[in-house]
Amino acid sequence: MVRKGVTESFTLDIIQNSLITAAEEIFAVFGRTSKSPVIYEVLDYACGLTDNQGRMIAQANGVPGFLGTLDMAVVQAIKKFGLNGFHNGDIIITNIPYTDGTHLNDVTLIMPIYYRDEIVAFSANKGHWSEVGGMHFGSWTSDSTEIYQEGLQFPTIKLFSKDKPVQEVIDIIRANVRTPTMTLGDMEAQAASLRVGRRRVQELCDKYGGRVVENAMERLIEQGEELMLKRLRELPHGTFMAEDWVDDDGITDNPVQVKAKVEISDQSFTIDLTGSGAQAKGSINSPWVATVSAARTILKAVTDPHMPVTDGSFHPLKIVAPEGTIFNPKPPAPTSTYWEAMAFVTDLVWKALAPVVPDRLTAGHFLSVCATIVGGIDDRSKEPFAIVEPQAGGWGAGKGKDGESGLVCSGDGETYIMSNEVIEVRHPIIVEQYSLNVEDGVSHGEFRGGFGLVKDYRINNSNATFTASFGRSKYPPWGMNGGDGGGPNYFIIYKSGREPFKTRKVAAVELGKGDLIRLKTGRGGAYGNPLDRDPKRVADDVRDGYLTPETAKEKYEVVLPIDLDPDQRRTETTRKSR
Amino acid sequence: MGYRVAVDVGGTFTDLCALNEETGELVFVKDSTTPANFAHGVVQVIRKSGLKKEDFTSFLGNGSTIVINAITERKGAKTGLITTKGFRDVLEIQRSNRTDMYNFRYEKPRPFVPRHRVFEVDERLDFQGNVLKALDEKSVQTALENCKGFGVESLAVCLYNSYSNPEHEEVIGEAARKILPQVPVTLSHELTREWREYERMNTAVMNAFVQPVVDLYLSTLTSELRKMGVTIPLHVMQSNGGVSTFDRAREIPIYQIESGPIGGIIGATFLGRVIGEPNVLSLDVGGTTAKTSLVDDGEVKVNTDYKVARSAFSSGYPVKVPVVDIVEIGAGGGSIAWANEVGSLNVGPQSAAADPGPACYDRGGKSPTVTDAFLLTGVIDPDYFLGGEIKLQKSRSEEAFKELASTLGRSLRDAAIGTIQVAIANMINALKLVSVRRGYDPRDFAMVAFGGGGPMFATALARELGVERVIVPRVPGVFSALGMLLTDLRHDFLQTRVLRLSQEALKEALGVGEGFREEAVKRFEEERVLLADVWHELSFDLRYLGQEHTVNVPIDWKDSVADVEKKFHDRHFKEYTFKLTDPLEIVNIHVASYGKVKKPRLKKYKASGAVGDALKGKRNVVFENGKLVRIPVFQRDKLPSKNRLKGPAIIEEPTSTTILRPGDKLMVDDYGNLMISIPGSG
Repeated sequence: MVRKGVTESFTLDIIQNSLITAAEEIFAVFGRTSKSPVIYEVLDYACGLTDNQGRMIAQANGVPGFLGTLDMAVVQAIKKFGLNGFHNGDIIITNIPYTDGTHLNDVTLIMPIYYRDEIVAFSANKGHWSEVGGMHFGSWTSDSTEIYQEGLQFPTIKLFSKDKPVQEVIDIIRANVRTPTMTLGDMEAQAASLRVGRRRVQELCDKYGGRVVENAMERLIEQGEELMLKRLRELPHGTFMAEDWVDDDGITDNPVQVKAKVEISDQSFTIDLTGSGAQAKGSINSPWVATVSAARTILKAVTDPHMPVTDGSFHPLKIVAPEGTIFNPKPPAPTSTYWEAMAFVTDLVWKALAPVVPDRLTAGHFLSVCATIVGGIDDRSKEPFAIVEPQAGGWGAGKGKDGESGLVCSGDGETYIMSNEVIEVRHPIIVEQYSLNVEDGVSHGEFRGGFGLVKDYRINNSNATFTASFGRSKYPPWGMNGGDGGGPNYFIIYKSGREPFKTRKVAAVELGKGDLIRLKTGRGGAYGNPLDRDPKRVADDVRDGYLTPETAKEKYEVVLPIDLDPDQRRTETTRKSR
Repeated sequence: MGYRVAVDVGGTFTDLCALNEETGELVFVKDSTTPANFAHGVVQVIRKSGLKKEDFTSFLGNGSTIVINAITERKGAKTGLITTKGFRDVLEIQRSNRTDMYNFRYEKPRPFVPRHRVFEVDERLDFQGNVLKALDEKSVQTALENCKGFGVESLAVCLYNSYSNPEHEEVIGEAARKILPQVPVTLSHELTREWREYERMNTAVMNAFVQPVVDLYLSTLTSELRKMGVTIPLHVMQSNGGVSTFDRAREIPIYQIESGPIGGIIGATFLGRVIGEPNVLSLDVGGTTAKTSLVDDGEVKVNTDYKVARSAFSSGYPVKVPVVDIVEIGAGGGSIAWANEVGSLNVGPQSAAADPGPACYDRGGKSPTVTDAFLLTGVIDPDYFLGGEIKLQKSRSEEAFKELASTLGRSLRDAAIGTIQVAIANMINALKLVSVRRGYDPRDFAMVAFGGGGPMFATALARELGVERVIVPRVPGVFSALGMLLTDLRHDFLQTRVLRLSQEALKEALGVGEGFREEAVKRFEEERVLLADVWHELSFDLRYLGQEHTVNVPIDWKDSVADVEKKFHDRHFKEYTFKLTDPLEIVNIHVASYGKVKKPRLKKYKASGAVGDALKGKRNVVFENGKLVRIPVFQRDKLPSKNRLKGPAIIEEPTSTTILRPGDKLMVDDYGNLMISIPGSG
């Protein structure tokens, strides 16, 4: 690499930091001004900067699932308009799954950043809009069979022209969504935060000169690749395989097989998904962009969770997913619960590599976003209400550690599950229970799986509808190194006068006052043989109520006197005699 | 005649600052902190100061890092928790976020109460505080018996929705005092009446966890002071920028969570007011971190968003008590410079701290630090560090920087300059966080720089941010203790009540504020504060209907709905560059009540004579632009007031070094502060 004068080389370091800070600032502004819980609490959005070719420079994510979906949207916008087709103050809107999107709720806005009449960068962000129209409240649904049922499509068009809103587009949005105030309020926040990004980049150019800033971007990309190649050299090389089943195709009860072959060398990390099922009838399809994003997530997790990533980081990543499959569907395939397939891209690679990279990977986790929508018209205010949220569940145990209980899935990240007290103020719902799902059992091992959760929503309103998609219900998480597998995700609907209904997917089920929904997420897989578990940990689990003394005896062969101080000698003798 | 005295117990040093109420003269003493028994260090520093028992007549204040230490080292009481049936696991579930999101071996922060010491009682309130299910006394009995059985030493009670109705918590508190008379009890609503069950529960648990530790420290300290014949009441520094009385401090120790660094900010506020600069950016650079805070028109910013041990790798523990808004970054004198694998230079957050310290201390530190960089660039005099108490070894700094320089492919000097440049850039980002990011233009502010390292960086930072005036107070190394002398008594009250703004809603909210005002008056009366010296500040957390995050807006007791609306729209626009036409919602009602303490009159600084008398000599210094210059070095306490001095120059004093960069103009004011004008940066 060419090194120039002393000031210049350290200046590049400083500019790089400032670009990352700018991305974080866009992120903060969007979150703090948003009107939907899915943005401000769940942080289901991402913000970033690309160079003028659409290559990722810096990105701030609320969820890893958006890693690298922004750059593809920018590339698409450049392809459509050409660099000369933009003006200062333009904002482009897009959400098409087959070119640059995920599902229609995830809407990307893109703004070119000009410095002295030339585009030096793009500021972009993508957020989950609570409502974009479609067949049911909340737009995404588990019963669609075509994308047309899932809401409005924005095919890379101008939303703002020269800092003025394009009124026709705004009017179309207002006419087609069920919560125009919330949706347009979020749009405003999303656009305002892009302008913050523009200002920061322009300030940097003012200070250091446009050329120097562009050099800094170039170097960020080069460094990203250099660092990733270094990490690849440290990984075990070879070919690793895994396969699994997705519960169903979204419509019927038929499972879909998925497969991955991972090849690691000094120069590349290849994920070949050939052999996975054809695109599904229902909305579980993972569009190409989502598949890439899930692949990037696991690559980062396996190599170095903390390295700053740029476009260059992903140069060594090769993905093969034939068109027309569940991982690369063609129009008009529905994609609104795309995470159900997408999560398997991450999980298959994870499962293939866990035995050889145990310092970074654990046993399988509950995997599904377990997304739910409870909505309706509030009796008190006559206004619509809706909670759209993911649920947390159990993570797998790993070498040297028990699994974590009640964490969001790998596709979610700095995602806050809503406070129950806040839910009760905003919605006619009473939360009767929020606890660890100990009642469904334990994944036993030298290190045990983390627990899922139980949450009870009692409807305190004359009307409500409930939509949900809980994957990993028929095929629970996998164990590692001989440990137990995990437990399933599911929910039970208790309607007055009816038998409790236990299932994994529903769309717009009607509920009334006093009805109860019990959401139950699964536990993660365990690691190793239970007989190798430290008796002290077994005793702690009994004391904390995770295990009964009987199970401790039966599964772990641990002899526990009344004070729960394990009898080491007798435990060893019994374990040996086994 | 008596003294006002403040003692600041820091991680490394215990500082004392005393002010003679008659002459305005200041006394400063520094001694080592004694972690085994912090009270001992306080006594030691008082002895060293030469103050006698009859000197303690009006005010004795104390700030410390005891609470935060007890938490980070997990050395507190065996704590138990009582909560509502169905919510036993809230402390472990937390908010389920994965802060370190690509780390698939992420570990959640471990709760301060294990599951087997969490007990449920049967009861239920709704969000408005209505009782859905009466409190089952039998379940309370059982829970308390269980606490006894498990040897609980301190008890927290946090019921679901108790922020809207404290009755059930109170009943449990009563019962606990009967059944467990030796066990201190923390009721969540007494600490915070803000919604969000996990956050409130954790706050209560942490308070209970540290209570016995703080209690022991404060009782030991008072009895030690009694032995010395000091009988005036002790005041304790709080994180909200006020002091509280001894009894209150014992009851709610969690309010002291950030009591250490607050003194400096209060000091900076006071100083700003005295010299006619009500808008202040404070910059406090110590051994491991740089801390900055913004003072807007004489007001420090206080919020309840504090998290203990929050980082990029951990979600931390939320503590919902009022804490001054401080941004802290890992860039101090001891911060280590390092190159990543692709040759980019970084500084911190790893620090050589006080032990082993920077390489030049020659106490075994091998890593290059910011202090080493300043030594290599000639800013620091190796023979005059801490007034000559520590002799610095330049050769050690050179050794330490050698490897870094070769990794970077640069000379030693370049590596040292680069280190300072990167540290400056990190601090700029922190300063922007408290200013630009919150909608303030740094050019409207003066910078008050203190801590050992603040004055070395200040003029460079000011230049970049367009700040025109930098103030370095007297004895910047112990400025925090001085600030404590200037702190008013303060009580904070906050109630979550979600109301759509209307005539009636405003009336209801003002009613809540009125109630708080009465409560504050009662408390001040108990503390024997003259009501003439008491005032109250009302503010609402407001938002557009449908938003989650709020904006804090100061409210006048006589404001109409229209006034409130206008204030909010303006504030929202200032922070976020847009306004909406949507209706507004009140979320929290906040009252800060102050009991004024008598402000000292500082003694005027007198040093006559010529600038030449202060000149110690000339030294070669390399500035950040890489140019070597030979510049004069002055001794601070000999600089005559009112005279002007032009940069570049270095001003030395035992606890700090101030750099005047080319073009800076210095004047020493009547109180001995260094007032530096920075040339326009453009």
